[in-house]
Amino acid sequence: MDQLPNLGREQEMLDIMGVSSMKDLFEDIPVEIRSEGTLPLPPPQTEEEILRDAERLLGANVNLDSRPSFISAGLARNFVPSMVPMIATRGEFLTSYTPYQPEVSQGMLQAMWEFQTMISELVGLPISNVSMYDASTSAAEAITCAVRVKSKKVDMPNTVYISELVPPHRMSVIENYTQGVGIDIRKIPHDEDGFLNLNIAAEASGSCAIYVEQPNAFGILDEGLLRLREVVGDKTAIIVGVDVTSLGIVEPPGNWGADIVVGEGQPFGIGPTAGGPIYGIFACKKDFLRLMPGRIVGQSIDTEGKTAYTLTLSTREQHIRRHRATSNICSNETLIALMGAMHMALLGPVGLETLSTRVLSSTRMAIDELSSVEGLELAFPKSPVFREFAVKVPGKSSEALSHIFELGVIGGFDLGQWWPDKGSWILIGCDERTSESDISLLKKSLTSWVEESS
Amino acid sequence: MTDTIFDFNGSKNAGWSQPSPLTEDSPSHIPESMRRNRLPDWPRASEPELVRHYTKLSQKNFGIDTGFYPLGSCTMKHNPRLNEKIVQNPGIDRIHPLQPEAQVQGLLAIYYEMQEMLAICSGMDAVTLQPVAGAQGEFTAIRCIQEYHRERGDNHRDKVIVPDSAHGTNPASASMCGYQIIEIPSAHDGRIDLDALRSAVGEDTAAMMITNPSTLGVFEPEIAEAAEIVHSAGGQMYYDGANFNAILGKTDPGRMGFDAVHYNLHKTFSQPHGGGGPGSGPIGVKDHLSKFLPSPLVNRKELPSGDIGTVGDGFWYHWESPASTIGKVQQWNGNAGAVVRAWAFYRRYGRDLERMSEHAVLNANYLRFRMMNPNPDLNIHAMPIEGCPAEVVKHEFTLSMSPLKDVTGVTGKDVAKRLLDFGYMAPTLYFPQIVPECLMFEPTETESKEVLDKFAEDFHAILAEDPDIVLTAPHTTPVGRVDEVWAARNLILRYPKDEPSS
Repeated sequence: MDQLPNLGREQEMLDIMGVSSMKDLFEDIPVEIRSEGTLPLPPPQTEEEILRDAERLLGANVNLDSRPSFISAGLARNFVPSMVPMIATRGEFLTSYTPYQPEVSQGMLQAMWEFQTMISELVGLPISNVSMYDASTSAAEAITCAVRVKSKKVDMPNTVYISELVPPHRMSVIENYTQGVGIDIRKIPHDEDGFLNLNIAAEASGSCAIYVEQPNAFGILDEGLLRLREVVGDKTAIIVGVDVTSLGIVEPPGNWGADIVVGEGQPFGIGPTAGGPIYGIFACKKDFLRLMPGRIVGQSIDTEGKTAYTLTLSTREQHIRRHRATSNICSNETLIALMGAMHMALLGPVGLETLSTRVLSSTRMAIDELSSVEGLELAFPKSPVFREFAVKVPGKSSEALSHIFELGVIGGFDLGQWWPDKGSWILIGCDERTSESDISLLKKSLTSWVEESS
Repeated sequence: MTDTIFDFNGSKNAGWSQPSPLTEDSPSHIPESMRRNRLPDWPRASEPELVRHYTKLSQKNFGIDTGFYPLGSCTMKHNPRLNEKIVQNPGIDRIHPLQPEAQVQGLLAIYYEMQEMLAICSGMDAVTLQPVAGAQGEFTAIRCIQEYHRERGDNHRDKVIVPDSAHGTNPASASMCGYQIIEIPSAHDGRIDLDALRSAVGEDTAAMMITNPSTLGVFEPEIAEAAEIVHSAGGQMYYDGANFNAILGKTDPGRMGFDAVHYNLHKTFSQPHGGGGPGSGPIGVKDHLSKFLPSPLVNRKELPSGDIGTVGDGFWYHWESPASTIGKVQQWNGNAGAVVRAWAFYRRYGRDLERMSEHAVLNANYLRFRMMNPNPDLNIHAMPIEGCPAEVVKHEFTLSMSPLKDVTGVTGKDVAKRLLDFGYMAPTLYFPQIVPECLMFEPTETESKEVLDKFAEDFHAILAEDPDIVLTAPHTTPVGRVDEVWAARNLILRYPKDEPSS
């Protein structure tokens, strides 16, 4: 109740208005629909009490930093520089609304314009918005955007081809976002090395778009995708989902023909934070600009010709275009994108390359160590990977993970949860924080599982 | 002009110091053709430079912490700092959404408590915390309603009704689900026109989307009749929870006859707006829609007596998938950080959340009274503004600047820009569109009487000012009025150096 400055002064204010009681302010609610009595909730608490309860409840969770952890599956157990949360949560940023009044929002607007530039540079495409909710909604809205742009120009309107290795939770988001507008989704299989089957991908030629991920759900970097443009022809939009960290050493999709690049921005800016708030990146070629979702900041001038920034191309958006808007997105993830911008700026180009190399190195070291364990099998031993790789274990992966958790290691993700036929596969994820001793503990605990289960 | 972040010339190749990679040869594991040739042209700046850069930017940004933020329909209330402290806890910041239930019992307990609390406050039966914004909540609820109709074989219902005063997200969300939008006009006082509604409903009606109090801040007394009309036609009633701050503990969407509702945790429950996000838009539904909710929800079961469980309350918390779930709308389980902040906020009020709404409504009515009744000494003879005729308003209210414009040429936008000079955020401008030259004010419960008094006084001073000063405002902000047309014509959307082509 310490949040109400006028508590105890109600009557003074009512008297000025000539209203006799607080009750009169709610007389317009018909009696039949008024609530009765007090809300059946616990009594109010003080800051001190809430903090105590929060620490008790959150302290009951096992946090990823408390032991060696190898769970990733689309989110990174990253290291966020101390400056980032400290400066990004300055009240002027934290407590501002969408910058609809540019004259008093130049700070966030400029920061987002710089963010757009950094994302553009990262993925090799000229346009970026100021964020989507996450990688999945970004992929889904990239698909609906591509259909809007391409449907009238291709032989297969409303048809999109998608890699069958897109994880089921992302596919579910995509299905929810595309079913209403009647988009026909066709799947493209991958071959035994985990690479996209380019012969079947060629069928996407003449459709609105093809959506692939690089790396894919098993962490595999697919060299064949560099030929995707010649495979699908000029008319079909290529949409690529990326691991943003990989782009310090891996060629950005904008350089090999992608029209739209999406992905999870989280590795830059914020911890995995139980899945949100995180942010999706969305970058595209100029042909997609006027039909793309999300807010965009443009440079402008003020009345005296001074450089200024403002939201632009708002006529695409719901508050103006209503049911004809390119998307319903209003609130996005600006503050998290700001954290991302700060993290990217601090890294700089060389820092990005180093970070990328660190993640790749720890992945390689984990692969090398685990491949020497008798009884474990790499699912795709020949394929280059980034951050993640799949391992087949004896028995069920869920049981293997419980076993190694007892030994103090969060060992990865049970792929049986995504694909029931992969119930003995574990997706192991590495990152910049993975140490040699983490890897040796993982190896030791998995070895123990192999012995246990034989 | 402040330099952009790309104009720094210090520490050219140093970059941020990091530990060395575990191995030296790792890049050789990536085929040569796939390796990046040219690094992105990111800033090359040191931490001291960047801290100063972003601090300077923050000083050119207006937040609730800076001053009064009466932005209607946005509920810009104070954001308690306790909430920010709590989400720095590694028990939320360093948690992965795919960790097994046994490792996240505390988080699941918070989710469960929030689901229950939101259901209680709204008169709904089940709640999902997965949607991450109000618009996504709308989309999710309309998806559930769509599946409900489909399951009953009601496939011909292809229209969603929205009043012309609705938030733009309502029609946009329904449209993304494939619905045609039927917009019905509001009555002159902003209320639902029941006759227009009667003639709009039919066998093709899937749902009606509406907020109450309306976007004019007026409670809709005939809401139960409206629900009856839509239900009789076989449609579902959807409550846009953007204005929920007005009614907690006083009434609820369940009593009004709604089947589904979204909540804006970033409005009612103080998740900071962050310059445009993150938000959080959970939805609540009645029983008949609950099996379609996104997956998963949190449930709990009692442990055998003597077993207090991980969080010490005798329960085991677990994820559960609704029987006919629509699946996922966000990749994971929603904006957990926003849910935890909202939890900390609600705990501050508990059963007294009603006081919060009372004070939001008190402040709105008080400010409206003050703005409509200037101090006689000011010598404003005829108030050049028009208020909404309602006797009382709820948490927000609209004023039309039409009379002022007729007399002086000063528009609502000019007044809004002039308010910036006085150290205020502008009110919501030109919404709802049914009010000419509309300004919409929502003071929230966290402003003191003195702030409201001073604001009304400054507002009247602006009305009495030389129109030329107002027409050219703002004058004291970091930049003058920004040319939005120039921006749209020139489309400079990134730092121009070495721009990728196409």
